[in-house]
Amino acid sequence: MFIHIFKYAFKTLFRDKMLIFWTFAFPIILGTFFNMAFSNIENSEKMDIINIAIVENEDLKSNEFIKEAFDNLSDKENEDSLFETKYTTKEEANTLLQDDKISGYIILEDDKANVVIKSNGTNETVIKYVTEEILQTGKIVDEIAKKKIEEEIVSGNYQVDYEKIYEEVSKIVEKDDTKLKNISNSNLSYTMIEFYTLIAMTCLYGGILSMVVVNHNMANMESVGKRVATAPLHKGKLIISSLCASYITQIIGLVILFAYTIFVLKVDYGTNLPLVILLALVGSLAGLSLGVAIATLIKANDKAKTGILIAVTMFGCFLSGMMGITMKYVIDKNVPIVNMLNPASMITDGFYALYYYDTFNRYFFNIASLLIFSVVMILISIGGLRRQKYDSI
Amino acid sequence: MTVFKTFLKVLNKNKFVIILYTIILLVFGGINMQTSENSTNFVASKPDVLIINNDENIGISKNLSDYIEKNTNIIKVEDNEEAINDALFYRDVSYIVYIPKNYRQDVLNGKNPEIEIKSAGDYGGSYAEMILSRYIKVQNVYAKEIENEDELIEKINETLLEEVNIQKTTTLDTNSLSKATFYYNFASYSILAGAVYVICLILSSFREEKVRKRTIISSMTYKKHNRILLISNGLFAIVLWLLYVVLSFAFVGDIMFSTQGIVYMINSFVFTICALTIAFLIGSVVNNKNAINGIVNVVALGSSFLCGAFVPMEWLPDFVLKIAHILPSYYYISNNEMVTNLETINFETLKPILTNMGIMLLFSVAFIIITNVLSKRRK
Repeated sequence: MFIHIFKYAFKTLFRDKMLIFWTFAFPIILGTFFNMAFSNIENSEKMDIINIAIVENEDLKSNEFIKEAFDNLSDKENEDSLFETKYTTKEEANTLLQDDKISGYIILEDDKANVVIKSNGTNETVIKYVTEEILQTGKIVDEIAKKKIEEEIVSGNYQVDYEKIYEEVSKIVEKDDTKLKNISNSNLSYTMIEFYTLIAMTCLYGGILSMVVVNHNMANMESVGKRVATAPLHKGKLIISSLCASYITQIIGLVILFAYTIFVLKVDYGTNLPLVILLALVGSLAGLSLGVAIATLIKANDKAKTGILIAVTMFGCFLSGMMGITMKYVIDKNVPIVNMLNPASMITDGFYALYYYDTFNRYFFNIASLLIFSVVMILISIGGLRRQKYDSI
Repeated sequence: MTVFKTFLKVLNKNKFVIILYTIILLVFGGINMQTSENSTNFVASKPDVLIINNDENIGISKNLSDYIEKNTNIIKVEDNEEAINDALFYRDVSYIVYIPKNYRQDVLNGKNPEIEIKSAGDYGGSYAEMILSRYIKVQNVYAKEIENEDELIEKINETLLEEVNIQKTTTLDTNSLSKATFYYNFASYSILAGAVYVICLILSSFREEKVRKRTIISSMTYKKHNRILLISNGLFAIVLWLLYVVLSFAFVGDIMFSTQGIVYMINSFVFTICALTIAFLIGSVVNNKNAINGIVNVVALGSSFLCGAFVPMEWLPDFVLKIAHILPSYYYISNNEMVTNLETINFETLKPILTNMGIMLLFSVAFIIITNVLSKRRK
């Protein structure tokens, strides 16, 4: 009997085109959109070559080191090259700036360097910063050379080779021995969160499946439900076997989505595959229990129930960062309790913990939260489902 | 009139769903605007940095952290490693500097101590690293020559004070304008989703088998019927548009009273017309009420993602932008982006904006023609 019910529940689910759309196709379509929109974000956050101009005038000629420094930074073969530099007249530079051809230009007047920009921005800040650094380096060379020359004179050597000293000092200054050690985790791609919320959404949308099978078994929902209610069957067995069917359908949908995100969209779930699978299974269970709870607790037609489930899921996903990754962080930081109760956030955070952290505490905390969530939902539903009897309906 | 009355009846019947949908869109838009300001607003010229000073806070060590503090935006994060790592991942801070123990002594003893850092690898991270290495470079050079700590600090600070003058040429309030652009870009999703959802719902009610049969045998021609429906739906769309314009005054503020503000409004009006015709087309093709939800999501989310309503256009890959050319939202959003940099307003500068509006109107005409052809064929 178990197998019989299971088989038919399975068939009914697969014949419902709307169901299959929401649980199978929609996440894949959304994932494709995410991939198209976000694939470039992190690359564009890195520094690009900045177009600048330098006004060629008498002042520039007397400050040869500035020109040299910028030429060095504009050298395409140099790995740290930052700029694409044009030498122009002031008028030309102004036109270029107005037409957004350059981010800013540098002009030397009365021994002072001026940076002319259109409005504040990151490129503009970099130009200002680099120009300052070049001036500062010039100053260091001057200072130290002065000191050395003084030392030479004090020690009685009056025939100072200025050029040699300047050359030596320049060498000291050019030698960059800054020691920085980057200890950040290499998995820093925060757009991954989008795809994790997508998995969370799919897990919770699975609730629609369990809701449909529960509706089929409820005498006050459908005529099928009435017929089922009159059948001499153990109700618990009935519901458990149909829920198994919905769970397996859900898992099939997830497997397809995982395959698509891993092989086509190249989403990184971290290295621990068994834990990824465990999280997906537990997440689906949470979705299933949410669907059962909404089906039993809310007395409304099936359209309204679906609407509520979709709204709850979407709002949960929104809070866990689907429509803007910052959202999750803001909630986590300021009202952590919200995301501790939000199943979408538990799933998302579980994947995040696997991806970003080396330890598993946070991951298992999320798994435990999801299990508790599921058990609570199922217990509430059992309270609503059992001992339902109708004399007439 | 009969058609219009029926229209209102259907609208009234579905009012809860419609109100719910509008509220959800508004809440999403509103909250998103508040939270994503720091993530989209990359014009901030100071990077967000966290300093963890494990050394005593005096002398050289203090000077280093003072210098970073002066040149960056210091972010306060709860003092545990997990909170710090989270902050880095979500770009709350772009760069973390760990000043090691005994840093001061090591520098004074002529060693070159290693500093541990964490970087999000984004713009802010690279910039913060430039600031830090500039300081260390200056310090290293002087530390070789000067032994007295106070003199060393003085020389470092004196050198780092060397600054350039900045001249800004724009008079535009770019911050408010980018906020307005963000709002109107997001509104493209809300307007499209709202219009398509409601109008499809209404049209599918008109297309119910029995209603349709009655309409066909009536004396009204299909063209007239369609026209009245288009006008009634148009009224709805205008109400929707007005709602978002009024809200823009609340969200964005004074800038909406400027000429740029008017361009935003006109642009969104043209887009609303286009959304209306798209809704009409979809509504005529789709008969199944259940399918509407799915189609709305795919159409509205799709064109919003591909055209840059959620993710700024400059960040989208080129091939996506090429595909986006076939969608009206692309022209609407490009216009919004152009307004952000609209310095002087005259025919020359408005020309590209007007061209885009023209393209949107052409799209609308095309959609109306297709709708009529399909509608005629179905009879």
